[in-house]
Amino acid sequence: MWRYAAVRTGVAFGQTALVLVAAFGMTALLPGDAAASIAGESATRGQVAALRSRLGLDQPLPQRFWEWLTRLCHGDLGDSVITGVPVGSELGDRFAGSAILAAATIAVLLPLALATGVSCGLHEHTRLDRTLNTITVGLHAVPEFVLGLLLIAVFSVAAGWLPATAAGMSGPALLGHPAVLVLPVTVLLGRQLCELARQLRVGVAANARGPVARHLRLLGVGEGTVLARHVLPAAMPPVLQQFARTVEGLLCGTVIVESLFAMHGLGTGFVEAVRNRDIPSVQGYVLVFAGTIVVLNLLGDLLAYRFSPRGERGFA
Amino acid sequence: MRLLGGLLLLIPVVTGLLGPLVAGSTASTAAPSMPPGDGHPLGTDQLGRDVLAVVLDGGTTVLWMTAGALVFAYAAGFPLGLFTATQRFRRLGGTVLRLLDVVLAFPGLLVLMVLAAAGRRDPATLVLVAGMLQLPAVTRIVRAAALAPNHRAVVEALHLQGLPWWRIHIGYIGRSALGPILTDMGTRVGILLTLLASANFLGLGLPADSPDWAVLIERNNQALLTQPFAVFVPAVLLALLCIGANLSVDRALGRLR
Repeated sequence: MWRYAAVRTGVAFGQTALVLVAAFGMTALLPGDAAASIAGESATRGQVAALRSRLGLDQPLPQRFWEWLTRLCHGDLGDSVITGVPVGSELGDRFAGSAILAAATIAVLLPLALATGVSCGLHEHTRLDRTLNTITVGLHAVPEFVLGLLLIAVFSVAAGWLPATAAGMSGPALLGHPAVLVLPVTVLLGRQLCELARQLRVGVAANARGPVARHLRLLGVGEGTVLARHVLPAAMPPVLQQFARTVEGLLCGTVIVESLFAMHGLGTGFVEAVRNRDIPSVQGYVLVFAGTIVVLNLLGDLLAYRFSPRGERGFA
Repeated sequence: MRLLGGLLLLIPVVTGLLGPLVAGSTASTAAPSMPPGDGHPLGTDQLGRDVLAVVLDGGTTVLWMTAGALVFAYAAGFPLGLFTATQRFRRLGGTVLRLLDVVLAFPGLLVLMVLAAAGRRDPATLVLVAGMLQLPAVTRIVRAAALAPNHRAVVEALHLQGLPWWRIHIGYIGRSALGPILTDMGTRVGILLTLLASANFLGLGLPADSPDWAVLIERNNQALLTQPFAVFVPAVLLALLCIGANLSVDRALGRLR
């Protein structure tokens, strides 16, 4: 276990180095000029040039990369060139919003996926299995903005039961208005339920039929115990990998849901930063997104390794 | 139940392919966002165009963009996958895979957004990038599918007969790896449909006056209360298209297994 953990963590560090380069590389990709964007259209060429040198945009790329890295090591992501607010505190604020949305979704998703996956896996190829499968695949297929708009049209506009937008609410304020979260969470659930339930279904079905489960039943162990203590843990490795991907999707892939419901999260923040050519912010967002992905994949791999049977542990 | 996917798929695909032939004029002649009334069975959109005509006209873009991205992903991913599966270039192939994994680490929409901000905001770029984002997955699938036949005695015999590299790989190995590849193509259609529609919804591809369903939904979103048809009709068609495509593929996969 420790040997695997050490090697896998080493790989994660390598990936982090690549992420740092990629995050900074975004600057080169955005030809824009933050200076031109701040100064506005009426600025003279001289004013823009002065601003460029004040922002350090006229220095060569490697030197800027080095300075950015040294500041990063001191925990300083720089200030937003548009608002002047430190990028770190803006990111923390936005992260809270996205994390609350993700946590609320996971709280509903886990029991739902467990129920769907286990009942499909235990009743493979029955009508129940086929019906649940059709529903989850269908929900997964609808683009988020389509599902979201249809829900808004029905539940907010026509029925008037639920608010259609979370505009003006920062992270913690969301907790005071749980009704705001209902529709976004539903949309995210539709997107994420299918794959998690499917992994559970395959694992449960394979292990419930397997020799271990059959032997335990012959020994007279109750069906509930067989399921909870033997079938489910054995089905875990691919499920945990998929769960890492789910959390990743909930933290980094909610741009559409956030902009549809006007939420104050990482997705909408990134859109704004890119639109404003706010390079320090864009770099901060890319760092957070890519860093989250590296960390979650690391955790997913380590947990999956811990749960897999000793004989099948590969070094992947 | 069995035919559900196909039936759902039929409606938007027929609309998309044949719609432009029967669509009326999409000139903006009427008042914007009018509810259904004289001469406009589904009302007008925010530009004062007939919703029925625009919807009939707007299904083609999403179909050809998806097809284009899929073709591009495979045109690049198929040879690349076969190449990484070849014994002779093992080291190089491994490096290629590691590099491609970095691409996989970035959420697709975020990459599209940065490109759009960099001034690359046209349908052709969108199709190319969407295809390119599929490259790591496609390469891996093709590689995995080609590895097994690569070690068969037939391949050795073909080598001994002195056949050129491409004849063996594309002619024999490529052909025997076709099953998993077709399966992946099916799933990828669903992924690409969602990605491209979402990108158009965010305004990253097609122009704002395009009749494309996703663009229509985004543009008419504000008038949801007064003119719901301009959002509802394209939204339902797009939903049917995505659900139908995914269910059909899912059913076909179930039969294969």
